[in-house]
Amino acid sequence: MVALQTLIDGLILGGVFSLAAVGFSLIFGVLGIVNLTHGIFVVAGAYIALLLWSGLGLDPLVGIPVIMVVLFATGYVYQRTIIQWATERATVVASLLVTFGVALVMRNILQLIFSSDIRSISPSYSFVSFSLGDLRIDAVRVAGLTTSLVLLTVLTLFLSRTSFGRMIRATAQQPLAAGLSGINVPHVYGLTFALGAAFAGASGAVIGIVAPFSPATEAIWTLNAFVVVVLGGVGSPAGALLGGLLLGVINTMTAQYIGPSFTNATMFLVLVLMLLVRPQGLMGNAFGESR
Amino acid sequence: MDSDTILRGRGVSKQFRGLRALSDIEFDIPRGSICGLIGPNGAGKSTLFNLITGYYPLTSGTIEFNGARIDGLATTRISRIGIGRAFQIAKPFPDMTVYENVRVGALFGREGQRDVKEVVEQAMNLMGLSHLAQRKASSLTVGSLRKLEVARAVATRPELLLADEPCAGLNGTETAEMIECLRRVRDQGTTVWLVEHDMRAVMSISERVFVIDAGTKIAEGAPDVIVNDPRVIAAYLGAEPVA
Amino acid sequence: MRPLSLKPLLALVVGVAAVAVFTGLPAILPPFYIRVLQVFFFSAGLALSWGLLGGFAGYWSFGHTAFIGIGGFTAALVSSHLLGGGGTGWGMVVTVGAGGLVAALFALVLAYPLLRLRGIYFAIAMLGVGEVFSELSSSIDWIGGGLGLTLPAGTDLDIAPEVFYYYVFLVLMVAILLISAATKLSRFGYGLMSIREDEDTARMLGVPTERYKIQAFVLSAFLVGTLGAVYAYSLGYFSTPSLFRVDFSLNMIVHNMIGGIGTIAGPVIGAAIMVFLTNVVLGSFLSVHLLLTGALVVLIVLLAPTGLLGLAARLWQRDPPEEEPTSPTRERERRLTNEPAE
Ligand SMILES: Nc1ncnc2c1ncn2[C@@H]1O[C@H](COP(=O)(O)OP(=O)(O)OP(=O)(O)O)[C@@H](O)[C@H]1O
Ligand SMILES: [Mg+2]
Repeated sequence: MVALQTLIDGLILGGVFSLAAVGFSLIFGVLGIVNLTHGIFVVAGAYIALLLWSGLGLDPLVGIPVIMVVLFATGYVYQRTIIQWATERATVVASLLVTFGVALVMRNILQLIFSSDIRSISPSYSFVSFSLGDLRIDAVRVAGLTTSLVLLTVLTLFLSRTSFGRMIRATAQQPLAAGLSGINVPHVYGLTFALGAAFAGASGAVIGIVAPFSPATEAIWTLNAFVVVVLGGVGSPAGALLGGLLLGVINTMTAQYIGPSFTNATMFLVLVLMLLVRPQGLMGNAFGESR
Repeated sequence: MDSDTILRGRGVSKQFRGLRALSDIEFDIPRGSICGLIGPNGAGKSTLFNLITGYYPLTSGTIEFNGARIDGLATTRISRIGIGRAFQIAKPFPDMTVYENVRVGALFGREGQRDVKEVVEQAMNLMGLSHLAQRKASSLTVGSLRKLEVARAVATRPELLLADEPCAGLNGTETAEMIECLRRVRDQGTTVWLVEHDMRAVMSISERVFVIDAGTKIAEGAPDVIVNDPRVIAAYLGAEPVA
Repeated sequence: MRPLSLKPLLALVVGVAAVAVFTGLPAILPPFYIRVLQVFFFSAGLALSWGLLGGFAGYWSFGHTAFIGIGGFTAALVSSHLLGGGGTGWGMVVTVGAGGLVAALFALVLAYPLLRLRGIYFAIAMLGVGEVFSELSSSIDWIGGGLGLTLPAGTDLDIAPEVFYYYVFLVLMVAILLISAATKLSRFGYGLMSIREDEDTARMLGVPTERYKIQAFVLSAFLVGTLGAVYAYSLGYFSTPSLFRVDFSLNMIVHNMIGGIGTIAGPVIGAAIMVFLTNVVLGSFLSVHLLLTGALVVLIVLLAPTGLLGLAARLWQRDPPEEEPTSPTRERERRLTNEPAE
């Protein structure tokens, strides 16, 4: 029974992990950039949700469109300026460092605005939970999981059905050829990055209602995203979902059976093992050929 | 095994997932010769060199160098027993000078005593790079990059040099110059196996030419026999305008 | 000709003079500045050690703080379990040496699997390694990083602690500096640099890439472990978060980047600037520390990706290229569009 409860908790948590990682995965898959600012997008989404909720009484999940628009715009500008400058001038590892630097700056700014205190958002349904036999399932978690699955589906359809989605995939596979056939590659990079940021922000709203957050938690969300991508493969929402669910289950199982203070250690152990066994992830690389 | 064969391949095959990149390639490279390897784009020439130099494992078959099996050895080891390679896509060490680039070859490469400074200078001289010794590799023209690629391989003092399209991207004069350099490399006692698309160039210098198409060897022999071989004309020359 | 004939001599003169000055300084400096310099020696030593792998071989570790932690915890555990709480004087040599060796041993075990990863994958895997060791040190009871560990004073001589550790770190930094310089000029160093430039090509030139990478990693870990053990001594009492610090890992990279990756003077210059800035100039702006460090990192990458030494070199010698410059990318493009047509 405990095992089943743990498994279900893990899957629910994993759905949120998936949504929080999908933008990171998209950006990594298409632009080839490991964006260490990712966790900032997530946490910023949570803080915007907090503002909307405390200021206008807007439910975090209802506020998601607003959050996504704000982060989309921010992400686009950020990519077309700092990220683009960095990739033009320096190595890939150095661009990793740039996003790290920006993350430090942003974390500090969030601390100055919102203080370092740990926050959470508690809408009316926060304390409702269902029972299924001996199983207990919180309403917020169900709401969070549902939102995550809906958004992941929307993104999947968007990438596979729209012409913009096809443009993104073409650019990921063959930037040179895409450029030659008239696609404005820098613009597509900017939009892809913006899309990634928007989904990260949306996940922030979900995280706001299911877990506590503070500016410092951004690092954990970035690392989680990286692990999810390594587990599930780069670039596809389905990969992010698989990786996220696995990570969620690993997390709750470790907490239950080894000890709550070992969750990160287990996570990284899995990460390192995974990198060694299958650097391309469980699902392989959805975009481009393996190199 | 007769001691006049420096490199021998038997049944050399390579499978990339669904793609049969090479099947059952056989070759004997005579010691002290210059041989050619030709074939249309994607025929498997670079793949063959990658197998010989240990970048990929063989799917099946054997490769012998000086009578000893080398398939399965690590690339470093293969370099140390005396095989050098100039890559098709020239890969200079961009942040190092020409001198330093060549010096890496001389410091490592084939095992044995040597005067590093002398080896470097000889290799640069041979390829006509001495006047560029102190330039960063990243500031070179295509022509010089190609020469550097070969010079660095020569500095490893190989018994066998695999040159993968050293003339790609060069104009007529530069190509002639490169061919001349390779002849000098051979005259110093190094066997050369050359991949080249410029038919006139390969035919002028090679003693024996191997032709592969879509992973299979379709002909082998002296240049004048090869150019008249109908299969070669059909498979290879037919794919591109005949010179 | 290479303008090298003067440089070693100059470096020697500057080096000897600097060591002489630093040896005399504690006599006249107030304790605050002695401590700042101690942090500088420590940071420069770390940056140089990181550079053996990251700068020379191009394997950027984002988790080198793991070895600081391993060094420090080993020293404390050796002191409490084997020396009965001792570890002063020669005892300190034993515990610190053990710290370095155990760090090297862990590196040796990790090297084979981890060094198969390249680029960002290695960087992130090391970040993970740092995290795992950190968590294990606080969660496993017999290590005791959660509650904290203590080390005795390093010396029983009649000397102020900050002065003692000032000299210990000075000696270590100078030793690591000499090791780095010797490495850079050696065949080993050449091999490492060719790995950084292009590992696949290096193999074809006969460079024993696997062995060299492992050696560089182990040497780097040994030096960082040694520094970490001494650092733990200088704290006296420490727990997991005092040694496993992500900002240590970050600083090793940043100091190298500011000064110039792959150089000898670069990490030292980078450490000097950053330690001075953060401890002296910005000492009173603690609330925006992160912001300023982050902004500085961004500026360095954008404005001087080759570091200050690279910038200086570019300003210094500006001879125009004799030939039209080409990059490997352009060369490939030329091949793409210009297939030989015979
Ligand atoms: N690592 C690899 N994985 C999968 N397929 C590969 C790999 N390397 C080469 N191939 C395929 O093997 C075939 C032979 O390629 P190869 O590079 O050897 O051709 P080539 O004869 O050198 O051509 P070119 O004249 O263009 O240099 C090609 O179809 C290529 O796509
Ligand atoms: Mg080829």
